[in-house]
Amino acid sequence: MVNAANLAVNVLLLGALYSLVAIGFTLIFGVGGVLNLAHGASITLGAYSAYYVTQAGASIWIGAVAAFGLPALFSYGMYKGMIRKVAGHPITVLILTLVAGLVIEQVFLVVAGTQPLAIPALVDGQTQLLERGVENNRIVAFVLSWLIIGALFYFVTRTKQGKAILAISMSHKGAALVGIDADNVYAYTWLIAGALAGIAGLFLASFLTANPLMGRNPLLLSFAIVVLGGLGSIRGSVIGAYLIALMDQVTVTMISTRLSGVTALVVLVVVLLVRPEGLFGRELAE
Amino acid sequence: MAGKTEAETADTVGLTINPLELPRRHQLGLLGLVAFAVLPLAAPVEAIGFISSLTVLQVTGALFFAVYVMTWDVVSGYTGEISFGHALFIGVGAYTSGMLNVHIGLPLVASIPAGVIAASLAGLLIGFPSLRVKGPYFSLITLVTPIILLRVFVYFSDVTGGETGLFGIGTISLDPVTNYYVAFALFVFALAVFLAITRSDAGQILTAIREDEDAVVSVGLNPAKYKLFAFVLSGAIGGLGGALYVHTYAQGVATPSETLGLVLSIELIVATILGGIGTITGAAIGGLFFFLVRTWLRNVEVTIPVLAVPVSELYFLIFGLITLGFLFFLPEGLVPRVLMEAKRLRGRSAADAQPDGGGEP
Repeated sequence: MVNAANLAVNVLLLGALYSLVAIGFTLIFGVGGVLNLAHGASITLGAYSAYYVTQAGASIWIGAVAAFGLPALFSYGMYKGMIRKVAGHPITVLILTLVAGLVIEQVFLVVAGTQPLAIPALVDGQTQLLERGVENNRIVAFVLSWLIIGALFYFVTRTKQGKAILAISMSHKGAALVGIDADNVYAYTWLIAGALAGIAGLFLASFLTANPLMGRNPLLLSFAIVVLGGLGSIRGSVIGAYLIALMDQVTVTMISTRLSGVTALVVLVVVLLVRPEGLFGRELAE
Repeated sequence: MAGKTEAETADTVGLTINPLELPRRHQLGLLGLVAFAVLPLAAPVEAIGFISSLTVLQVTGALFFAVYVMTWDVVSGYTGEISFGHALFIGVGAYTSGMLNVHIGLPLVASIPAGVIAASLAGLLIGFPSLRVKGPYFSLITLVTPIILLRVFVYFSDVTGGETGLFGIGTISLDPVTNYYVAFALFVFALAVFLAITRSDAGQILTAIREDEDAVVSVGLNPAKYKLFAFVLSGAIGGLGGALYVHTYAQGVATPSETLGLVLSIELIVATILGGIGTITGAAIGGLFFFLVRTWLRNVEVTIPVLAVPVSELYFLIFGLITLGFLFFLPEGLVPRVLMEAKRLRGRSAADAQPDGGGEP
């Protein structure tokens, strides 16, 4: 029973975190057709921003603001400075995001070294939940993640700017006809995606630790999540995130921790081969 | 230089009759091959003096690496289906041959072909999705397949050696010069095969697939057949390279980071971008150049003052930044650009201008 409760708590929390990462990834894909392989770097950047801010003596909450802002700026800058200039060459874009992500990893490897770094918890203490103690830190992260996801849903479905994102991912021509400035929408989509990944990086680092390669696993998982949920679909990403989190946790607890992440990758390959549009995605535009 | 006879033996392409009548760039290429053929005889290599730490051993590694890069180029550079996990073929070849040799005691003459066959099958296995799944989706599949395999390897680490690698595999030879010639023979073989294929009709069709697959279909050709052919060929030679690498240069040790890891796959792409994507010679030169510069950087003992980090730890960062620069300013790569510039120079002045730096490094 304790095991099942443990599993449930982990899945609830991890699903929310993975959703944050995957939604940004899927939004960028939805509007621009770009697989942003540098998305993992935003996670790392978020964690390290928070680390350096707290090292400078500021509170972790100010660190959280940095973890929100810096990856957003990085992501925005990447679009404005690089992706936009080579947008016509999908292969170049793909390689570019990959190399950019690796460069960020290397920068942190060089500057901070390989050793894992600890970040203070957002809040201390424990709460009894499902007959077991759960750190308040995790509960706060869970609640915050869902607040952010909810705000994003509201933004995308209710506001003009948000609807523009949906419009562009449905039809570039249609969006252009009603006067949507595609370049502008791309830019703030990258901004939002960076911020979401950054905050996920902060949470991940505060439960575990921060290290330069910490963005890789969530990035791989978010491939699986968005492919499962359907590339470009927010709702699909959240559901996909929970499915993947469940499968991963079941594998880890039932079989072996050494197989962490493998189920997700196998799911990814199978879904791509059998049903490339995912569970909730539209037909591929290509 | 030993002259014409050497050049002819080194050139197994079999297309040449008189090297003196070839275009200048082909002469330079042949000269480069001859230089590689006589390199171990010219010991101490330091006498050549362009990189003081350059040894026969390092060039051996570079030749293997250049073969890997060419196998990537023939699939991804020509057909445009970008593979992010090309190390899969190298790893499958290396580990199949290695495990058969260690666990079953199969002699190398049997285990190496087995590795090649396994890697060809891997090529087929990766090639099939490329027919159905396009562009970034295909890249995703290639990216995760070696990662899955690596995790499975770690899970069954008693058989595969896990992350530390598989030790005690038989070797062809421990003599650096013999190993050098094994690598050189493989390099010339791969170069000849790839040049012959990409300059044939099949190569034209592969390029056409990259440009417009529908156009290929419309003239009554089956792109699937050509793509699968490219994948199987690339897998087979990649697997052969991986197996020979383990049995010679790596001295009987197969490690994930050297034969299967993500970093290797990425390095192959980076080297091709530097040399020239979609050109076999560019890939070969890019591969040699990348490996030697990487080796050199790793041995540099200079420390960057502000960060207090040795340059040797920065090699991947440096290559990453250079690659970003290339993608922006020189997307076609170094070799095509040099050839083009040389042609332009020659066209401008009646005096036959010397193409500078167009040869192998």
